[in-house]
This record gives sequence, C-alpha cells and structure tokens, in this order.
Amino acid sequence: MFDEEQDTLAAEYVLGTLSADERGHAEALLSFDPSFEAAVRQWERRLGELNVMVEAVEPPAEVWERVKKEIAPLAVPVAEVPDILGEPPLAAAPAIDALPPRPESELPPAAAPAPDEAVRALFTELSAAPPARAAPSLARGADVIYLASRAQRWQRAAIGLGAIAALLAIFVAVSQIAPDVLPGSLRPAGGAMRADGTGRLQQDRLVAVLQQQPTAPAFLLTLDTQRRTLFVRRVSAMPEANHSYELWLISSRFPAPRSLGLVGNDEFTQRAIPGNYDIDTLRGALYAVSLEPTGGSPSGTPSGPVLFTGKAVEALPASPLNPART
Amino acid sequence: MLTQAELVGLLAAVAKGDAAAFERLYGATRAKLYGVLLRILGRPELADEVMQETYLKVWKMADKFNPAVASPITWMVAIARNRAIDIVRKKAEISIEDEPDAMGVAADTPPPLARREMTEELKRLLACLGKLDPEKQRIVLLAYYSGWSRDQLAKKLDIPVNTIKTWLRRSLIEIRECMGT
Repeated sequence: MFDEEQDTLAAEYVLGTLSADERGHAEALLSFDPSFEAAVRQWERRLGELNVMVEAVEPPAEVWERVKKEIAPLAVPVAEVPDILGEPPLAAAPAIDALPPRPESELPPAAAPAPDEAVRALFTELSAAPPARAAPSLARGADVIYLASRAQRWQRAAIGLGAIAALLAIFVAVSQIAPDVLPGSLRPAGGAMRADGTGRLQQDRLVAVLQQQPTAPAFLLTLDTQRRTLFVRRVSAMPEANHSYELWLISSRFPAPRSLGLVGNDEFTQRAIPGNYDIDTLRGALYAVSLEPTGGSPSGTPSGPVLFTGKAVEALPASPLNPART
Repeated sequence: MLTQAELVGLLAAVAKGDAAAFERLYGATRAKLYGVLLRILGRPELADEVMQETYLKVWKMADKFNPAVASPITWMVAIARNRAIDIVRKKAEISIEDEPDAMGVAADTPPPLARREMTEELKRLLACLGKLDPEKQRIVLLAYYSGWSRDQLAKKLDIPVNTIKTWLRRSLIEIRECMGT
C-alpha cells in the first residue's frame, strides 16, 4: 500500500532537507524497512540526474593517494584479476565530466539544447555563485543558523532530559520509598534493590525515550544493565486492537534488528533483556518499536511499520546516589 | 569518455577487489563527485575528507550496486551527498567555529555541463521541475545543490519554515506525479 507520509520522508531524505533527527529516523527505517528503501532508491533515481548540471572540480591529488593507501591491503593482487575491459589503467582514462576542451567551452550559451528556459535560467543563477566566491557571506549566514538551531536543540534536549530525569526520579523515589504503589512486577523483589548496598543501581541504567515527535514521548525504556532487566513504561502510545508493539535493538554490530520482545498492554512491562548484549552494544544501540500482528513479528525482523525510535542515554552520572541508605 | 556500460563494468570488477578498475573508476568520476561535495560542504578540506570516505564506501559496497536500479554516477553521487549532508547537519549541532578560510578552489570553475550531457532522464526531470512555480523550483534546486535543510532554506530565503515545508511537500508530490515512475 502506498504510504504518502513515508514517500515524502524518502523524498526529503534524498533531497537533503531533513534535520539531523529526521535523518537519523530515516536512516533507521532504511536499515530494515524494504519498502522505505525502495522509495529512497526511486527518489534517488528521480532526482539524481540533477548531478549532471553540477560543475566538475578537480580534487587535490592527495585524495587519491590516501584512498589508495587505505584500500591497498584489501585489493586482490593484480595477477588474479582478469582485465575485463582490456583497457589501460587510470592515467589514460579521462574524467567522465572533465572540463570540456577550451574551444567547446567557449561556445555561446545559445548553442545549448535548453529543455526549459526557466529552469536553465535558475540554474545559471545558482551557478553564478560557485562556492569559491560565495563562501564568506554564505558562511556567516550559516553561522547564524547553526547558532539558532543549536539553541533550539539545546532547549529541546533540556526539555527532553528534564522529562526523563523527572520520570526516573519519580520511579527511583517511588521504588525506594513507597514500593507498594508500583505494579507488582516492578516492586523491588525482597528489597534486592536496596540490599546490594553498593549504590550502583542507578548507575547501570540506560534510558531511552521512544518517540515520533520530539514533544510526544510514546514509551520510556529503561535498561538496568546490571540486573539485565528492561522496563518499558507506556507514556502516550495507546494499545492497538489486534496488534502488538514489539521492541527492537538496532546496532551496527548486527546486520538486522534484534527483537527485545513484546511490549505488554499494561502501563509497565518488565522483562529480562534477552540475548547476551554487552554494555557498549546496549549503550550505542538505537531502540525502536514496531506495530506487529498480535504475538509479534512472524519473521523475526520488523514486519510492520516502525512507529517510534530513540537512543539510550545514561540515566544518571556515574556516582553513587542513594539517599535511602545514608 | 567512459560510457555508462563501461562504468558498470568497472564497478563489477571493483566488487571483486580489482584495484586497477577502482583507479579507473576514480579517474572517471572524481571531478563530478568533488564538484558536488564542494557545493554542499563549502570547504575543500571537508570535501577532501568526504571524498576519501565516499570512495572507501564505493570500494566496500561495489557488490551492492545494482545497474537495474541506478546509474553508476547517480549511485556514487548519492553516497557522497548523503555523507556530506550528514556532516553539515551534525556540524550545525556541535560547531560554531566554522568561519571558513578563503576557499582554495580555482576561480575559473567550468560552466555547468548541461549542454554536453543532457540525458533523457534529466530532460524529463527538468521538464517536470519547469512546471512548478518559480519559487518552488528554486527551493528544490537550492536544496539539492546546496544541501540546505528546511530551516536553512527558510532563513536564507526569508520564508517561514512551515511554508517551506508545505512547498517542498507539494513540489515533491508534483514531481512524482509528473515523472510517473
């Protein structure tokens, strides 16, 4: 089924107009959603031809020297490779878009087979300010934007962290002061949370806010890496009839997302962290929730839409914090 | 000049670890990719870095290239642009020290290659772009060539970001419908 929203995301990803956050979301989708990947490839094909109109610029020779050095250990020795094209190597190969010979470049523009005057005029305007000459003024404009977007981002991050901190603080406080308020599964078992006496409980926590919009967290995921337990708190996501939410770990260390199990319909879900992921993997991973048929994805990788994504952050600074014990 | 078929052949050889084919591929595509990167990144030292990353990625991913889905040059340009835009977006978050030094690029950059290299696909795309209002053409092309985000487009063109968002969305839908595929 054609998904307008998703196709626009793919188009803007290819065009390059997404923010860093949105690009991260698109890249996550790209890594495991074949329909999204197909949409991106199609947009690359639609828009990619625009590169033809970019002027070629000769890069410095050092670039090739560095690339060559990096691939040298990986290259197959020359003798083993059949010479497919039977042509001499690089030196003789002209750049595909190398500068045209002088006489050609001096042809009057009128000789151009212009497909559309308006577009051509626009492009001429664009190319009238190549980076070489436009850089200083553009750069100043860019700085202003960098600052503005940075300020916004910090503001947003501050709000986000504030929310996480508040929720976590409530959770920690409640679990230590009034455990009876928590659902049974989240109560400290036999006082275990207090009994270890090391104050390490909070340090080994990672928190991820899984969301679609920065302002509307859907799930709050907490990973207790020491006890290898994960908690999911439903914040704004509503249960969907005939569907289950499934939680995924996406890491560059694995070719495909790994399931962390289903998110229950209650406000809190607690379960052991499946698999044997080390702390660095858990810390560096992207977490996602997809909507699956009841009982979870039949294939072992997300089969339904990925609704929410988020990265884990350390819940608290790495210093013991245990007011209940002093 | 290498034909598209020759570039496809080179990529197939690169996928098998053929360094000589890789060198020829580099020679045939370097100036185009560098031009694209320089436009987006603005600074030669950044463009150099991304060139290096891009070609390493091409070397490693050549076996993933599918000639039925993309032409070699658009595939490589997509890799380069993606990386460049990632960098520009991340810089916007973390860096304010970016007053670029004077650009070291030759001042006599060549004119656009439109005259010589107008492919059928490009003509079709331009015809569709030409149907958009001039302002919308402008934002689509500025976004593609300069790698600007919606926020940047809004700032630089002095248009509210929500308007940019709406225009982009409509323009992309129109392009999709006009191109048919």
